[in-house]
Amino acid sequence: MRSARSRPGAALALPSGVRLLFDRGTILLRDAPEGVDLSDLPGVLWDPRVRALRAPARHHPAICDELTRRAVRFADEVYRTTDDVGPWAEPPLRPYQDSAHWAWQEARRRGVVVLPTGSGKTRLAIAAMARARRPALALVPTRVLLAQWVREISSAFGGPVGCLGDGERRIEAITVATFESGWRQMDQLGNRFELVIVDEAHHFGSGARDEVLELCAAPARLGLTATPPSGPAADRIAELIGPTVFELSVGDLTGRYLAPFQLVTLNLDLDPKERDAWVRTVAVYRPALRAFMREAPGATWLDFAKAAVRTEEGRRALAAFRESRALLAFPSAKRAAVRSLLARHAGARILVFTSDNATAYAVSREHLLMPITCDISRGERAAALDRFRRGELRALVSARVLNEGIDVPDADVAIIVGGTQGEREHVQRIGRLLRPQEGKTAVVYELVMRGTSEVAQARRRREGLAPRQPALL
Amino acid sequence: MLPANLLSCEFRGLAAIPRFLGEADRPWVRTLIDECERFSGRPVRELEARLRDPSPGAPDDKRRLVAYLLLGMARSRVESPVPPREARAALFTASGRSPADARDAVIARCAGELGVSPAALLGSLFADLPSERIAMAPPSLDPGEVVLRANLALAQGLLARAHSVTIALEGNARAVARHATLRGLICSTTRSAGDDLASIELSGPFALFRRTLLYGRALGAIVPVLAWTRRFKLQATCDIRGRRTVVTLATGDPIFPSSEPRRFDSRLEERFARDFARLAPDWVIVREPEAIDAGGHLFFPDFAVHPRFDPSRRWFVEIVGFWTPEYLANKLDRLRRARVSNLVLCIDEERNLGDRDVPATAALVRYRRRVDAAKVLDVVAMTKAT
Repeated sequence: MRSARSRPGAALALPSGVRLLFDRGTILLRDAPEGVDLSDLPGVLWDPRVRALRAPARHHPAICDELTRRAVRFADEVYRTTDDVGPWAEPPLRPYQDSAHWAWQEARRRGVVVLPTGSGKTRLAIAAMARARRPALALVPTRVLLAQWVREISSAFGGPVGCLGDGERRIEAITVATFESGWRQMDQLGNRFELVIVDEAHHFGSGARDEVLELCAAPARLGLTATPPSGPAADRIAELIGPTVFELSVGDLTGRYLAPFQLVTLNLDLDPKERDAWVRTVAVYRPALRAFMREAPGATWLDFAKAAVRTEEGRRALAAFRESRALLAFPSAKRAAVRSLLARHAGARILVFTSDNATAYAVSREHLLMPITCDISRGERAAALDRFRRGELRALVSARVLNEGIDVPDADVAIIVGGTQGEREHVQRIGRLLRPQEGKTAVVYELVMRGTSEVAQARRRREGLAPRQPALL
Repeated sequence: MLPANLLSCEFRGLAAIPRFLGEADRPWVRTLIDECERFSGRPVRELEARLRDPSPGAPDDKRRLVAYLLLGMARSRVESPVPPREARAALFTASGRSPADARDAVIARCAGELGVSPAALLGSLFADLPSERIAMAPPSLDPGEVVLRANLALAQGLLARAHSVTIALEGNARAVARHATLRGLICSTTRSAGDDLASIELSGPFALFRRTLLYGRALGAIVPVLAWTRRFKLQATCDIRGRRTVVTLATGDPIFPSSEPRRFDSRLEERFARDFARLAPDWVIVREPEAIDAGGHLFFPDFAVHPRFDPSRRWFVEIVGFWTPEYLANKLDRLRRARVSNLVLCIDEERNLGDRDVPATAALVRYRRRVDAAKVLDVVAMTKAT
């Protein structure tokens, strides 16, 4: 790991050299010697407010490299020197995890590793921290994951593990933070960690969240995801974390490391009354959407929604759209299908996924299944997962909470009642079932309403499951 | 922070003009407040639905803003015969134990064990969800106050999307500048014509590269403090709905004020004032004296001290309790250039500033946790000030 101690230019803090200081999420270059032009260093601009050169903190490593290359003497005061962080009990890695670590290392410890859910991304992260032995911050999307990461790191790390978020603020050399809390405090913490792990890295690449990675000086960055984004978001992630350095899909690991699974699509029909209501709602929003798309070809649904809220007609269209979604969420045919699937797999551990919380509660009431949603407290969720593990609860129903990262005990059947998040969500949900077990084959049922937008949705989301690197394993 | 779709403003040329609520809006605001009262005792989701409905006389965008605010202030409670968490644990475990049993039979058996009716058990199941909680009568709200609070939220929402802010103000510049510095903003204060006029420029360190929401929030936090100046005019460059616009706020805008800015930044200062007065009874200590003009930039020392019978030997004392190396370097640089020599800077020792950063003209007292009044007295009593 690069650090202030080992950096060549930093060995002597002579008054004549440039001083690099961390200032609230930026790097300031002070006391530049006369006649040396540093304004073309990476990310650097002249800040007339303080009469000094300034760069976003993430450019710190590149600035140091460039100063060293130009043989400009500099004193790096961004990081305080710290001892190595330990002791660690490094977890054993599977061959593909080890390859992923190697690939990341080769990429100068900047990059995204794409691995399916259930393939042990956290373990890879812990190994990266253990091998680096430098102060590290793990950023995770939710409070549920916060607790889980703290627990898992604690089992491998001998020191105290810091926790930032969910009402806690303990900063240690190894700290886990939610995206939100990390963002709020990165202007103060941006020079405390030399390695940043970004869990579920696909959340980055657009929007305010990216600020956390801009304001942070950490030279080593490891992104983890099962579902890397494409397009401009991918470019931005490459800039903030690093390029994708290693990639495997569910298909690549099925059999040896992940349980095989069957995907069964049940095509269902709306009953006549439901269909009438659905046709009426579609008749309201579709013409408005089509008219908008004619005006703005290539626009997204989000563009339409943004424009629509401004007019009375647009708001009517949005309301109709929401109503049509609600009609498809849990119509009578899906109710009947869930009932018969629960009966058919009476002895199995089942996860039911819905498109939204309201439907999760509807399923819960109707079939007496425990819901796992953001409204259920952390303690109750943990207790419920425990009882599910022990077999006292036979099924859990959830819209989003079970999608990402959270460690769900072995389940063998999933019923996908609805989903709107596409391929990414689908890959994550199926990943919940794939913890391998002797002789296990998981079954995934997708409930799709015939003749509606759900058919195309289902087709699209299956695309994320195909193997990417058949030759590797 | 206000979501973007609630930022109601008119675009005129480069300007975005906030659509503030005023006198004319009070009647429908009153109606919405009354509705909050009328819906007390009913599930929160019913109140939400009511506040979403159009209201006679209420412009749609303003009503959505007020509804958002009222729902934020609403209180609620859980009402259920069985605590919801217990109800869930009992019923879902019972159903897990006997998956083959009919739903109604499971509910009846479980309700019997808990000593309630099946309907009461089902009613308890999700009674703690945010939308199922029971709305309570709000604390008595005055429509005038709600109007001002809505305007404050609107102004802050706009400023949260600002790159930089310039404020011309009269009176209490100290409180504004201090508030900004405490929020991590870069603040440069210059004196305009006249004694009490100042111009303050505020921006986040990152503003050089692009707008960040993190510092936008800090900029928004300045708004309510401005009510404590005699006059102000604030101009901000903001990105609103994809447009670069200028937002102007000024004295007289109907914005809810913050509570009075605290006179002391910290207990640290309060304690120092007490210690110094006790230690040096023949010295006068003045809290928050007038600003020092250092090359056009204003400084606001925390204290002025002088011997009781020799006001000419006057020193300023500033406790730098919250700072970054950059903040301090910048400040020292300005003092050095302005040749301000009768200033004692008290600096938190934990940051261990190198000696070369201290201008030869300024005295420096390091401290840890508590500023040693005796050390400050040593400096001011031993040295002849100019």
